[in-house]
Amino acid sequence: MGEIISIDHLLRAATALQTDTAPWAGTLREQGREKFAALGIPNRWQESWKYSDLSQALAGVPAGTAVSRTLPCLDGAYVAFFENGVLDISRSALPDDYLVPLTDVLADSGSPFAGTIGRINGTEQKNHPILGLNTARMEQGFVLRVPKGETLSPPLHVRVNWTMDGAESLDGRHIRLLVELEEGAEATILETHGGTPGFATVVTELRLAQSAKLTHIRIDQLGGDARQSAVTLGELAGTAQYKGFYLSEGAYFCRHEALFELNGEDANVEIDGAFLVTGNSHCDNTTIITHAAPHTTSRQAFRGVLSGASKSAYQGCVKVRPDAQKTSAYQMSRALLLSKDARIATKPELEIFADDVKCSHGATAGELDGEALFFLRARGIPEEEARAMLVEAFLQEALDTIERPDLREVASGAVRDWLAVHATEVIHAG
Amino acid sequence: MLEINDLHVTVQDKNILKGLSLTVPAGEVHAIMGPNGAGKSTTSYTLAGREGYEVTSGAIKFRGEDIVNLPPEERAAKGMFLAFQSPIEIPGVTNMNFLKTAVNSQARMRGEKEPSAVEFLKMVRDAAKKLNVSEEMLRRPLNVGFSGGEKKRNEVLQMTLLKPSLAVLDETDSGLDIDALRLVAEGVNALRGPDTSFLVITHYQRLLDYIEPDVVHILAGGRIVKSGDKTLARQLEDQGYDAVIGKAA
Repeated sequence: MGEIISIDHLLRAATALQTDTAPWAGTLREQGREKFAALGIPNRWQESWKYSDLSQALAGVPAGTAVSRTLPCLDGAYVAFFENGVLDISRSALPDDYLVPLTDVLADSGSPFAGTIGRINGTEQKNHPILGLNTARMEQGFVLRVPKGETLSPPLHVRVNWTMDGAESLDGRHIRLLVELEEGAEATILETHGGTPGFATVVTELRLAQSAKLTHIRIDQLGGDARQSAVTLGELAGTAQYKGFYLSEGAYFCRHEALFELNGEDANVEIDGAFLVTGNSHCDNTTIITHAAPHTTSRQAFRGVLSGASKSAYQGCVKVRPDAQKTSAYQMSRALLLSKDARIATKPELEIFADDVKCSHGATAGELDGEALFFLRARGIPEEEARAMLVEAFLQEALDTIERPDLREVASGAVRDWLAVHATEVIHAG
Repeated sequence: MLEINDLHVTVQDKNILKGLSLTVPAGEVHAIMGPNGAGKSTTSYTLAGREGYEVTSGAIKFRGEDIVNLPPEERAAKGMFLAFQSPIEIPGVTNMNFLKTAVNSQARMRGEKEPSAVEFLKMVRDAAKKLNVSEEMLRRPLNVGFSGGEKKRNEVLQMTLLKPSLAVLDETDSGLDIDALRLVAEGVNALRGPDTSFLVITHYQRLLDYIEPDVVHILAGGRIVKSGDKTLARQLEDQGYDAVIGKAA
């Protein structure tokens, strides 16, 4: 604690988790090391990291102690259980026909995934420091492949939990997941993150072949002192569909990037999200959706409830390549500011190089609606309860976009839990 | 039931009510009519306790108790109900959940037992049926996508479930066609009784054909300038505000 974490430190810290690797994996790691060494720890002087200065977050701050909390559980699901960055097979229920632990993949010199890991949405990986670091140091994770026409059933719950004190993992723990859905394959994945990692990166690579469908729910319920930088990368072929829902409670440093490339006609990405932050927490949702083929569609809608002196950011970028005509892209950010000290930075960006496209974006930030509050109170609902009702209602609209009832319940439960724990901040706003 | 005495109210530093006095005994229906800008909506919001409506002097006694410093929810629990001119839409809260929360909150504040889930459902179904409020309207988010008539019927549904002792109807007739108006009036009339009073605030006489008032007051310039029986409303309709208020002045 107190020492400055350097690039060298992060790259050199070898853990027992990192096992010997196949030659291709060694080469891949070396490329990651070079990339991270060149790019460095991201800081606010880099455009994309303006609101999320990882360098500062890692410098000399006290690492929090572990918190114990009941984390969501999806009944009847396959489970990939990670404790302190380690895939714990004994506490998992893995879909053995489809899933291979990352350690096995990296030890296999003839692995069929050698050319896939670290290659999904290569354009966005190229100059990404976290990708460099994670590739250099990825320890555990898995590769999930659903063959052509098959459906992963039940869904897979990826439970990532940190029970160690933050100080023990301040030199970084790095999880890598790869999901490949072959033509027409379908899967539902719930990813939950809990506990207080001193510093963790999680990279999830997704490849959806023709007509594949993935439903992906991510829930970040980290402890207040946690530092985590997560990146989800996706590549979609024609008519493939990705439906994501991201729920985040923020942390000392909590950033998630969704970087998608739509490569085939009629591919569709839909991302809804909600973030609930209070105290001094930080929460950053950054997206880059690249429309690289005609007739592709994307939708992003985020809702934030911000209290205390929290700081949030939503950076949504839509890129339309020159031949991606007839594409349509929509992005919206709504923020509910419950305190004078809470801050949100909203930055929509459009880079459009085609002339026949439909792109729209909007952002709002405001307080609870005074008229609605009065209406509820005039019906006899006490102010505190009325405020809580309106905050829940604001989030309900995001939660309603989750189609599966069991998944919607998991996310709703997480929201209810947060509102109960932080009732004071939500109710006595000012 | 309600005694308002020399009430002065400012809204954003502007004096709106300037010495309003009014008494509504139990079981009576009083109408307040007045031209635009007379202070009609200010009267209803002040009675319900809306923030920003500052009572600078005067008193409001409701069932014998001064309520000027009470928050809106406590006034509601004591039996005050305001039917809104423009009922608020709240996406994300179902109508049913809202109704249940309101009924339970009021019961709790009055120290009464909350109705059981079964009792509540029966209460809602019975009242909804009479007001032609569909199951679908109960399941939908509060007032979202409701027509003007549906919103007003939903207000009367809330009134029926909350059983107020004083209901203030703020321009309840605005935006209603004749059928919707009749349905709303029937709902209101069903609640009339010796222990229930109504204050019907309206710009037009039309509503009073269906909800017959005991007394009609004319509000102008922030105070009551003339009171009379129901024929006063007819007279206003025939001669216009200027002629009638002119006579009073």
